[in-house]
Amino acid sequence: PAALSDDKPLAQEAEALASAVRGALGPRGGQVLLTRPTGETLFTRDGRRVLEALSLAPPTARMMVACVSMHHSMTGDGAKTFIILLAKLLRGLQAVLDKREGSPFCEDIQRGERHQRSCHSLKQISQSIMTFQTLLLDHVMAQDLRKHFLSAFSNWEGEISRDTIESILEAYFCGRIGYSDQKLLSQLSSDFYYKCIPFKNDRNEMLNLVNEYFVELHFAVTGLPVSNSRILEGLILPRDFAVYCPAGGDIRILIVTESIHSALSAPGLEFVINAEAQYQASQIWITKRTEAIMKHLQNSNIKVLLSSVKQQEIVIYYAKINGISIVECLSSEEISLLCKITGISPFIPTWDNIHSEISETMIAKFCQPLVVGSKRFVHLGLTRTCTFQPHCVIFCGPVHGVTEQHASAFHGAFKMLQQLFKAVDLSDGCEVSDQQLKTCMAETEKQFIDSSWVGENPSCTQTVVQKSSNLAMPIENFERDFMFSALIHRGSSLRRVQKLPLKCKHPSEMWVKNTSETIVNNHGICNEAMTAKENTTTSVVSKEITAAKDFWKAGNPFNYEKSYKYTVQSYTNLVIQQGSVLPVGGNFEILLHYYLHSYAKQCQEPKITVVSTVIAEALLSIPKILYRTTNKNSFPQVYFKATSALRTNQQLPMSQQGLESVYCKYQLVVSVLHCLTKLLTIDLIIGIRRLPQKTEDNDSEDDL
Amino acid sequence: MSRIEAKKPSLCTSEPLTKEVVSYSLSVLSGILKSCYGPTGRLKQLHNGMGGYVRTTSQSSVLLGGLSITHPVLKVLTASVQNHISRFSDCGLFTAILCCSLVENFQKINFAACTVTKISRHLLSLCIDYLKSEACVCRIAVDFDSIKTLLSLVHSVLASKPACMLNKTETNHISTLVLKAFLLTIPHTVETNVVLGRCVIVPVKDKRVMDSTVFPGLLIEVPAFQLARTFPIKRISSSTIKMALFCISMSGDISNTGEGTVIVHHGISLEVAVLDQLLSLGKQLVNDQVGLVVCQKVIHPSLKVYLKEHHVITIDRIGVSMMEPLSQMTGSQPIASLHSLSPTYYGSLKDLRTESFGSKHFLHLIPSDTLVCSLILCNRNEMAWDELKVACQTAEHVLQLTIKQPLALLGGGCTETHLASYIRHKSFTLPTSALKAIDCSWTQYQLVADAFCHSLECVARCLEHDDCEILTDTVYGHFWSVQSEFPSDCNWSDLVLKCGCGIYSKQQNLNWRVLQSQCTPFTPQSCSNESFVNSTDHLVLDCFTAKCSGLQVAVETANLILDLSYIVEDQN
Repeated sequence: PAALSDDKPLAQEAEALASAVRGALGPRGGQVLLTRPTGETLFTRDGRRVLEALSLAPPTARMMVACVSMHHSMTGDGAKTFIILLAKLLRGLQAVLDKREGSPFCEDIQRGERHQRSCHSLKQISQSIMTFQTLLLDHVMAQDLRKHFLSAFSNWEGEISRDTIESILEAYFCGRIGYSDQKLLSQLSSDFYYKCIPFKNDRNEMLNLVNEYFVELHFAVTGLPVSNSRILEGLILPRDFAVYCPAGGDIRILIVTESIHSALSAPGLEFVINAEAQYQASQIWITKRTEAIMKHLQNSNIKVLLSSVKQQEIVIYYAKINGISIVECLSSEEISLLCKITGISPFIPTWDNIHSEISETMIAKFCQPLVVGSKRFVHLGLTRTCTFQPHCVIFCGPVHGVTEQHASAFHGAFKMLQQLFKAVDLSDGCEVSDQQLKTCMAETEKQFIDSSWVGENPSCTQTVVQKSSNLAMPIENFERDFMFSALIHRGSSLRRVQKLPLKCKHPSEMWVKNTSETIVNNHGICNEAMTAKENTTTSVVSKEITAAKDFWKAGNPFNYEKSYKYTVQSYTNLVIQQGSVLPVGGNFEILLHYYLHSYAKQCQEPKITVVSTVIAEALLSIPKILYRTTNKNSFPQVYFKATSALRTNQQLPMSQQGLESVYCKYQLVVSVLHCLTKLLTIDLIIGIRRLPQKTEDNDSEDDL
Repeated sequence: MSRIEAKKPSLCTSEPLTKEVVSYSLSVLSGILKSCYGPTGRLKQLHNGMGGYVRTTSQSSVLLGGLSITHPVLKVLTASVQNHISRFSDCGLFTAILCCSLVENFQKINFAACTVTKISRHLLSLCIDYLKSEACVCRIAVDFDSIKTLLSLVHSVLASKPACMLNKTETNHISTLVLKAFLLTIPHTVETNVVLGRCVIVPVKDKRVMDSTVFPGLLIEVPAFQLARTFPIKRISSSTIKMALFCISMSGDISNTGEGTVIVHHGISLEVAVLDQLLSLGKQLVNDQVGLVVCQKVIHPSLKVYLKEHHVITIDRIGVSMMEPLSQMTGSQPIASLHSLSPTYYGSLKDLRTESFGSKHFLHLIPSDTLVCSLILCNRNEMAWDELKVACQTAEHVLQLTIKQPLALLGGGCTETHLASYIRHKSFTLPTSALKAIDCSWTQYQLVADAFCHSLECVARCLEHDDCEILTDTVYGHFWSVQSEFPSDCNWSDLVLKCGCGIYSKQQNLNWRVLQSQCTPFTPQSCSNESFVNSTDHLVLDCFTAKCSGLQVAVETANLILDLSYIVEDQN
């Protein structure tokens, strides 16, 4: 049984997992050395790698690791935080369940078996967490946290300055690689970013391309110092030329995916030999044909052939004669990357096109051998045909374990940047909140009733129905409370808004209409929203909007002495805007903790209160670990400073220079909560002897 | 049904460096490596205890390849040294010993790993900046006009491999040969892309070392009976022999027929058809006045007979490794077609001779342009020959690296002690702004710098295995060794002769102190007075590129190891 309250295995398992990665968390974390069954060693600070390497047996632990992996492969970040947060949450809920007395999750059932009872309360907890995640999280983010967000962009157009990118990347690498190389890699990656993606318009598309083809865009050399790592213009194919004929000027390159030299017979064809002379003649004909094709390529001024298959020696021989270089055995990914960059398709030699014009070629500035370490590679400098400027990274390091760590951290950094430019829409959670929350909670209640009382004595049902009708009150309270808590920090306007709840809805409805418009129109939306707001509620709002506009003009997020009026993003229709960042060092966690706490205080729905409190407490574990070793800033000091600043409505004190993407953090909390609900809803683990069978439709064949 | 076995859970160790087993196995490994270092290093015998091949060696590449290391921390260390060796061939032991000492010394001071890493990074950059700057006095520029420094480099490499069992004259002889062979591989005309030729090492194991020699061109071993039946070769002119080089099989087998079916009617033999083709090819070769046919793969006996009748020499089965030097040397393109021969792809040789060494017989292909040469390497026994071969390859690699970056470092421990004095001086006078940038205190910096210098000096100290005292002077910071059994009232200046690298001999104004003893930091200088600088004898020199990289790799690896907080070992 996986029940939380029985043997406490869930919380214990998660804590065991967390203890493996805790040492590697944060900028002062150490490295973990993994050994593979093959004897290879690998350095890592990547939580996912560590957790996967543990190869644990308990199925629930495996499930947690699977959740971590899933999250990590999506965002490239946050695996360690994930498991630590999960462990804390489980422990927190454990404590709630253990208390029993006065816990909202235990009161409605007094009978039934112990196991069943605990299952029931677990189910309820997981339902409340779902409700929290779908409805409350966005709300708190939008209403409270949003005003603290900084923007990574330096202007309205979404340009991003080099300083900002570097501080985001440095913060990222602080948690992923050894101290000594953090500076180097963050510079390398920001160089790579600006070299590959010179224009911001195609940013997302280009980041996708870099992430998809990262394997082809980097390669590692061992035995050299890390400081030799560098970025090269062009692409590197990790193999030597089969034939190399030096060529100057613009070089025309052709891609082939088949053997140029044809064989006597093809699949599905029969070749009948009647006489020896015929055999000789056909051999000669094939040779002549290959010669003719290569001659034609030379006449078409093709200088390089990139082939995905190994070509026959005779092809190589004629290539050499005709001054054509050949690179063989390109992987299908390399071919598709080349095709994507240049927009051409592979050439297929047939008898028909032997004399026709060859159009599908790409042009390179150079195509030459490159010696790195002691190996020879092909270095290909394509002239630009699309907005992606091909560059590749060479990672050097004393051992393979280091270069691999650097490469995967580098890849992770670009995944993280991809997340940085994502935005979260104000989902149904906030705009239509009242209605939704009501229906949702009601549904939840209904489910509880349905699920927990099946097969029980019907006489009990009455009391439950009564209870659920009693619950209608809290829901109503909750609904009001929900709306107004959002406005709690608005000072004087609070009371007036309270009086006009209906009117208040008006602007938000307008926003919903605008949701489909792109971020670039934020300004416009802002203005619309502003007029709408002015019409309905107060003039305080308009002041704040002008302040928000001031911010955009000022640019650098670090200058927020002058420009940061923490309303930057309050009036758009997005919970998290593109490029939202927060300073590193547990700021996000402390903020979310603070606002969840203050929300929980006013919230009158006991289940939600409990869940929010547990989540708020769990969040604090991250900054606690981050500040565990520093003498100057111990955790209590940092926490005290932050909360007192928040109480007096000031900005958070910022101790470190790094920035991190809010979207990543938000996604992390959502993923953890998802994982948690999944874990809590399991009531029984059944061991089976065979592998779980995949559902396949081969039954029909057996019948026939 | 496939057997499914449950995976064993992994073994986890936290704070691995504090564990006894790590420090113990590290000290064992460093003990082995230290005792091998230098010209007087002790030899190690590797064998598997089951009657296998025994190897006597003192070279890091062989030693580390032979040791089976299980602890992951040591695996990292040896892997990084082996990777260094695969790139540079030289300075493997230096890197390994330095890395071990750094780990040991940094562990002793017991600071947070990130502080040590930051400071040692800074110290490393001080070292590298100094070594690469013009002001560096422990490096010398390699002058390609005279062979003296090049010869010193090769000599130092060979002399530091005692398992080669060479005496002084033999070392000199082999050094000259290696250098000669290297010079033969440099092209006469230099274009933008310089491609060095190849030096092929030919083993002859039953002759004396002094019988080793270098031939321009290639030596291809042939059986004695074939040699006996040689005949006057067909020449174009007195100094040109036309040759054809084939890279496809000429054995008369049926070539790839594709994935479909081929139906052959009764009474038709494809083999005959192919042989016909081969013979007509032979006819063309004879008509084109080719004197030598070389094939990577097998030549059909009938074709061989036919060619022999027409006084064409055939050599087959030479293997893919010989193809490149052959085509480089003769200018012939490997031919891959049996149907069309283009006369432009024939190559040419200056001469073809037969040579025999000991029991072996060779065809000696002499090119008109030497880019490829053969080094016949002899040594008394198999083991010493293997060691000598690795040493010669190392020396060749060192020369190649030196041609790219024409610098050499003073060897014999002088670079290490000099660098240590330089770092001591630099760290003593470090500005506070630099400390602020690293975010550490002055004391922390001093302690780490001291451990760093201590490790460098420790490497130098490993050069002496006999009962010797090691001194360093307080002007140049060089390495001097004296016999330890000296009378207590005796002056050190009576005992020393010259420093480790041999550049300075003893002078009146020098003061000595025992290496690794406390002293006030000083700026190491170069000598202004030429008379004390040795210019006749061989210096001991090290490869600049290899040593710089070895230094960086050692520090980086030591930092990696110190930074470990957790080990997860897969038990499957």
